[in-house]
Amino acid sequence: MLHWIQYLRGYVAIKVWGYSVERLLNLCGNHDVLVWDIEDHGDYHTMHISIAGFFALKPLLKKTGTRAAVTGKYGLPFFVSKMWRRKLFVAGLVCCIFFWCLASRFIWDIRIEGNFALTEDVLMDYLEEQGVHTAMRKSGLEIEKLEQALREDYDLITWTSVQLRGTTLLIRIKENEMPVYDNHNKAETDKGMDLVAEKEGVVTYIITRSGVPQVACGDSVQKGDVLVSGAVPVYNEDTTVRRYQYVEADADITLSYARNLSLEEEIAYEEKCYTGEAIEIPVVGTGDKEIAFRFRKVPYAFFDTSEEKKQVQLLDHLYLPMYYGKRTVQEYEIVSKMHTAEEMKTLLQERFRKIIATLNEKGVQITEKNVTIKKNDKKWVLYAHMQLEESAVKPVPTVTEPVEESEKEEDATTD
Amino acid sequence: MLGAAIVTITGNREAFIENYKGILEYTTESIVLQGKNAKICFEGSGLSIDYYTNEDMKISGKIDALRYI
Repeated sequence: MLHWIQYLRGYVAIKVWGYSVERLLNLCGNHDVLVWDIEDHGDYHTMHISIAGFFALKPLLKKTGTRAAVTGKYGLPFFVSKMWRRKLFVAGLVCCIFFWCLASRFIWDIRIEGNFALTEDVLMDYLEEQGVHTAMRKSGLEIEKLEQALREDYDLITWTSVQLRGTTLLIRIKENEMPVYDNHNKAETDKGMDLVAEKEGVVTYIITRSGVPQVACGDSVQKGDVLVSGAVPVYNEDTTVRRYQYVEADADITLSYARNLSLEEEIAYEEKCYTGEAIEIPVVGTGDKEIAFRFRKVPYAFFDTSEEKKQVQLLDHLYLPMYYGKRTVQEYEIVSKMHTAEEMKTLLQERFRKIIATLNEKGVQITEKNVTIKKNDKKWVLYAHMQLEESAVKPVPTVTEPVEESEKEEDATTD
Repeated sequence: MLGAAIVTITGNREAFIENYKGILEYTTESIVLQGKNAKICFEGSGLSIDYYTNEDMKISGKIDALRYI
């Protein structure tokens, strides 16, 4: 405690020598000048004395014929005056502490854990909508509300925990492992659904699970024809229709149809040949504005431009609206060339193979195909005749004339 | 007794003195103080004064003897 007071008020270490140091000590005592840590070094004495005491010492030194020299200065007053000479340093220190305090009141990083089905981007966008983003004030964050909102807006999320750890917002979620079924589409089923043909063709296969089939195997159908009706008639005894029960028609139906295809490929073609000449231009930008560090014109007739940019990143999720990168300008020449017969064949076959692959992906089966290639001086043409099979049906709401109930009822009673 | 010096010695390392008139001699081997009726002489080695005011003082070091002269 005493040391602290001494430090706060400041003190000096002095060296005293001369005729009678004892007399000086007595005088100090009489004049209420506090001295401590007095040590005898033979020729001289050392001691500590307060700043005020040091100034009061002068007449006493004169009186006793002793001399004193300062050997060290300690305490806060000396420290402050030392710091006063280093204003910039102190100002920097103060600014640093101030900035630190200020910066710690914001959120600088958002981390999401436990998400599998919901991607981080989706959740980040959602948080942005909720007004939660990096560089926002901590005080503006309502943790309880955010947790609740996450649970309410995403059925998939069953548990949430939002924590603030320093300047990092840690969001932990648990997703529902049971699949969530979407029942919205089943709302309209009480009206009944028909299956209609999407394409013109011949029915090659039909198995009906619910509904009334309107076509049989081998029938030709037009686009839009009803294949399976969702209206199941209920008959009276006289085989007239009493009423309809509406169901959702469900059936496996395959339609067969022909398709012709022609692919053209020219023998002459132009190819881009890069000359190997390229210019790299450094680019910096912010927002929509961009500065390229090249002021002369690009000396090429034909060129491709590609850009590589990086955004300035401070932390994992904190980006500054500035980017830097380079723009590469590559010169090329256009060279006319001719495909060889072999190349032409592979090109056409490759294109045809891609078309078949797309058809297969859509679930279309090819039952027959007939491919011919016609050649002339300028181009080759591939003609293909294909017989395809596909389940080209779509459900539409049932449109059936309502049965006049009263008439039918009367019929039923008269019988 | 009015005005008499009070000397408190802790072991042989520390001495605490009140009510003295002044200091007469100070070396590392001996410290002589003036009391009301007698001089107080501390003998030893490595003696130093921790603090010194008008009312009291503290001596530390190895004290061998205390004599009243």
